[in-house]
Amino acid sequence: MGVTCVSQMPVAEGKSVQQTVELLTRKLELLGAEKQGTFCVDCETYHTAASTMGSQGQAGKLMYVMHNSEYPLSCFALFENGPCLIADTNFDVLMVKLKGFFQNAKANKIETRGTRYQYCDFLVKVGTVTMGPSARGISVEVEYGPCVVASDCWNLLLEFLQSFLGSHNPGAPAVFGNRHDGVYGPADTMAQYMELFNKIRKQQQVPVAGIR
Amino acid sequence: MADVLNVGVNLEAFAQAIGAIQALRSSVSRVFDCLKDGMRNKETLEGREKAFIAHFQDHLHSVNRDLNELERLSNLVGKPSENHPLHNSGLLSLDPVQDKTPLYSQLLQAYKWSNKLQYHAGLASGLLNQQSLKRSANQMGVSAKRRPKAQPTTLVLPPQYVDDVISRIDRMFPEMSIHLSRPNGTSAMLLVTLGKVLKVIVVMRSLFIDRTIVKGYNENVYTEDGKLDIWSKSNYQVFQKVTDHATTALLHYQLPQMPDVVVRSFMTWLRSYIKLFQAPCQRCGKFLQDGLPPTWRDFRTLEAFHDTCRQ
Repeated sequence: MGVTCVSQMPVAEGKSVQQTVELLTRKLELLGAEKQGTFCVDCETYHTAASTMGSQGQAGKLMYVMHNSEYPLSCFALFENGPCLIADTNFDVLMVKLKGFFQNAKANKIETRGTRYQYCDFLVKVGTVTMGPSARGISVEVEYGPCVVASDCWNLLLEFLQSFLGSHNPGAPAVFGNRHDGVYGPADTMAQYMELFNKIRKQQQVPVAGIR
Repeated sequence: MADVLNVGVNLEAFAQAIGAIQALRSSVSRVFDCLKDGMRNKETLEGREKAFIAHFQDHLHSVNRDLNELERLSNLVGKPSENHPLHNSGLLSLDPVQDKTPLYSQLLQAYKWSNKLQYHAGLASGLLNQQSLKRSANQMGVSAKRRPKAQPTTLVLPPQYVDDVISRIDRMFPEMSIHLSRPNGTSAMLLVTLGKVLKVIVVMRSLFIDRTIVKGYNENVYTEDGKLDIWSKSNYQVFQKVTDHATTALLHYQLPQMPDVVVRSFMTWLRSYIKLFQAPCQRCGKFLQDGLPPTWRDFRTLEAFHDTCRQ
């Protein structure tokens, strides 16, 4: 895999989420990108169960268990700013067994679904982020396959993003700065999605017009 | 049109000539009939002989007469015009239904086209002969044909010398690591890893570079049985493009007397790809053009250009 940048696209003024997504995909198709099926990234939140909290009174950490259709046999477990565990999909079953320690916050389940596009060596995924029944925002993921070092190709990625995002200018993802020369991996992508989802959860719910 | 008229006038003669041919055929067959029947139906031997000879003479005379008639008529019919440049195929132009069977115009076009092709092929072969791409010191001319076993001296360098040259180049560029292997006899194969950007497989013959393939840093360069995969190309368009340019570079850097300099120049040029994704095009100032970064590196200045931006 190559270097990936996940960013949030603000909903265009006076448009619904769906309309903005259509606008984006039409721009991509005009650019010459080819449709290649769909994608899905989901995220479930787990609280540390009260019974296991130490007497020190520390606040429970949140753990996120995520799946990405790009890695259909894997399951990602992340702590905020913490390590990322990549496991087989059986991990979900394990989490059910561990409900004494980790409790699933079902209402917090959030996911993004959409279409996958290929343009030369770029892989673009435009998705609608939904939480429960409501559409909460738009995610744009761009992967550049040939490159493995994030800092090498950020300028190149930015130029590509600007070619179809228009005026919206995404900043460099935080994970790009973490490891200056390190090889970029799937865990870095999942961390970006986790950040994006956290940001969207904190936002106010968009008006009814945005519901899918 | 003159031909058409001519034929119209002589149609009568044609019909007569055909009739004459038929007459000639029947008289000739009568001669053979007569020969086949032989001498019979006469009382005396003498009578039989006389009658046979008389018949035979009659028949031969009639053959002669018919033949003369035919010759006379054939002069009347006149010869088909032979001065047409396309010879018999020129007669196609007589076809009155041009719209349905435009054979003649197509034929002329094909003829012109093949003439042009021949002309251009001649020019091209002349030009190509001037710029020979043969990279060995030996002039592969008539002499090489006479002595097919004579190998150019630069092709029989000892493997130890090749190893030396490669390891010196390896030490020269810290961001480039070269791994040398000889899976098939004395010819070396190099796996060059350039930073975290790309990997290059270089197939050598002595100190000549025969083939190079550029792949991504995260791509597999080995086949299933653990050998270097020198045939399959990269999955990424950008590295396919760089492979093309590297092949161009192989042909550009040539100095038959000093093959080690050639390898060093090629590696120096290759090293400039360390900034493949970081360097904008020196001409248009952009990173991307048609979804590809600047994949071309100038042979002298090593500056980055898009394939279409270079001069």
